[in-house]
Amino acid sequence: MAQTNPGKDSQASEAKKLISLPTSRVRLIMKSSPDVSSINQDALFLTTKATELFVQHLALTSFNNGSGREANSLDYSDLAKTAEETDTFHFLTDILPKKILARDYLESLEQLQDEDTDF
Amino acid sequence: MDGDSSTTDASQLGITGEYMASGHYVLQPQDDDGEENMNDHEDGGTKENYREQDIYLPIANVARIMKNAVPQTGKIAKDAKECVQECVSEFISFITSEASERCHQEKRKTINGEDILFAMSTLGFDMYVDPLKLYLQKFREAMKGEKGIAGVAVGESLGEDLTEDSFTNQLPTGIITDGQQQNVMVYTTSYQQFTTIPTVQQIQFS
Repeated sequence: MAQTNPGKDSQASEAKKLISLPTSRVRLIMKSSPDVSSINQDALFLTTKATELFVQHLALTSFNNGSGREANSLDYSDLAKTAEETDTFHFLTDILPKKILARDYLESLEQLQDEDTDF
Repeated sequence: MDGDSSTTDASQLGITGEYMASGHYVLQPQDDDGEENMNDHEDGGTKENYREQDIYLPIANVARIMKNAVPQTGKIAKDAKECVQECVSEFISFITSEASERCHQEKRKTINGEDILFAMSTLGFDMYVDPLKLYLQKFREAMKGEKGIAGVAVGESLGEDLTEDSFTNQLPTGIITDGQQQNVMVYTTSYQQFTTIPTVQQIQFS
């Protein structure tokens, strides 16, 4: 990390300003995918930068499309709703299941059972 | 069963979310405070269900980007931040496995920039591709003269020293579209100087 050349220092710090996420951690996550052997520098930079764009995109979309629970705020249900309704974020549905209260779930379960006995 | 629904532990009730006919559901404790106790608010995050992928980006970084993306007066719930943290890891894996597949198909061992961009396009993130190409250009210019081992070393260390302080002068830039793709908010910084004065242009597509 030690850079003795001032010219190199400013170049490195200019490059640093481009991203706000730790590339080492991004690379760790990438490497945990099966069959990934090596990742070149461009790929790592692009993935890190894309991740930033993704966070902005997901946050703003969810904020705007919110479940209406509360205006001007972003909570878990907004994210879950966005994943369900927006094609781009559909890959998140497995890790963003919608939450319901146990009470409501049991009620709907009872309703289903009642419907069965009606026949 | 009586009407007392104080038992919210799914394992005691013997039911899982899969019983629901549509969509994906999990049971949420009625008392939200209960959930707080279960969560470790460090960047690892301790959740009831451990997934294979439990490596996350630091929550401070993620939260900061989220905060800058939504209107200034907007609020972000803590569980939303943790959730996006997990979504991020999912996103990275999603892109990486697609890129890796292409790499293997072409009998190459190293994932390069093209693979990543192609993966984004394939997976529905083609709106990121053009801005990313611009950033890559800037990155390469900034790294000029750092080629070879030195360049790789600097690349690896990018962002590693980030603390809360280092965010004061940094603002995320990017292109954001909402679900309907009607509004495009473009945050830009001056390209020449890498200054951090943002200009926001809102383009409306009617």
